[in-house]
Amino acid sequence: MLEGKQNGQVFKLPKVILLATNITNVELEKAKAAGFADTVIMKPMRASMAAACLQQVLGIGKKRQAGKNMLNGSMALQGLLCGKKILVVDDNMVHQRVVAGALKKFEVAVECRESGKAALKLLQRPYCFDAYFMDIQMPEMNGFEATHPIRMMESKANKQMNGGMDEDSGRKGEWHVPILAMTADVIHATYDALNAGWMDVSKPFEEAKLYQVVAEFFKSTRSNCFT
Amino acid sequence: MERNPMRRQLAIMRQSLFDQGHVDEQFVQLEELQDDANPNFVEEVVTLYYRDSARIILNIEQALERKPFDFRKLDAYMHQFKGSSSSIGAKKVKAESTLFREYCKSGNGEGCMRSFQQLKKEYATLRKKLGAYFQLARQAGPVETASRPK
Repeated sequence: MLEGKQNGQVFKLPKVILLATNITNVELEKAKAAGFADTVIMKPMRASMAAACLQQVLGIGKKRQAGKNMLNGSMALQGLLCGKKILVVDDNMVHQRVVAGALKKFEVAVECRESGKAALKLLQRPYCFDAYFMDIQMPEMNGFEATHPIRMMESKANKQMNGGMDEDSGRKGEWHVPILAMTADVIHATYDALNAGWMDVSKPFEEAKLYQVVAEFFKSTRSNCFT
Repeated sequence: MERNPMRRQLAIMRQSLFDQGHVDEQFVQLEELQDDANPNFVEEVVTLYYRDSARIILNIEQALERKPFDFRKLDAYMHQFKGSSSSIGAKKVKAESTLFREYCKSGNGEGCMRSFQQLKKEYATLRKKLGAYFQLARQAGPVETASRPK
């Protein structure tokens, strides 16, 4: 959890999840091969997928138990997500409403903003968001541009923490809030993300596995839907 | 199988929305978000969609009155409209939006106008069908209570 304290924080590693429409298997493989996204998800937002991926990004930083909590169904998911604070940035009001609805179902506290600029205002003070859902195709400021100040702020805080140790594993503190990128065009988004330095290169193998776990979860959730 | 005839009619109506291609699985996603805490979620989101769409359609109409066409602007409007339509699972409307955007990209003014007329038709049909569906849903009442039909 992110707090305003200087010392003794538990940090999470960065995770970028790309949400996209009409992703083909070819595009998905490209994105994964580029080491970019552990998960590429369809936009518009599906409730089960959004929550599942969110849980994964929030869970993976603490201990490396990628698959463990995931397959216990939505009860476990709800428990893990309950009380988390999410910022949704999307200039489309209808989609924003759907995303918020999906997250609220898992008792997530949701803030919504229509633009990158408006979202950045929330970051002026140390804000405790656990993740951002960002539309990266907004006209005035695309999501990547909006995330740049976030990363700047994080890296500044990390530099201050340089030398500080994480109580869990003794590694250096790395403050990163997971950013979930929402887009209708995954290939261009992938290239833009790589150029913007979003690529998470730490554990590509684990991330591919992560996708499979999430996909499995999604499949099993869907099969319960049509009662 | 629903014992309540209204509920049965509602189920048939719902199925035809899918069978006739008016809505796709995203609509199911909205339904899944509806629960006791949010009993009218689907209708609320659809209502928001109507408000949003009305604004965009007006913008497009006005833009199509100005010659020469500003295809970039038209495409931007339609991008918004497509996003909203896709968020509620409006399948036919979404498909027509895609077509319109292709005409924009190729600078085909005639195509844009034709496509827009078709889009408005599909949109009107969708509103009519969803309107009837929600009205029946309200009359049928929540599943638990034995409410008298109006």
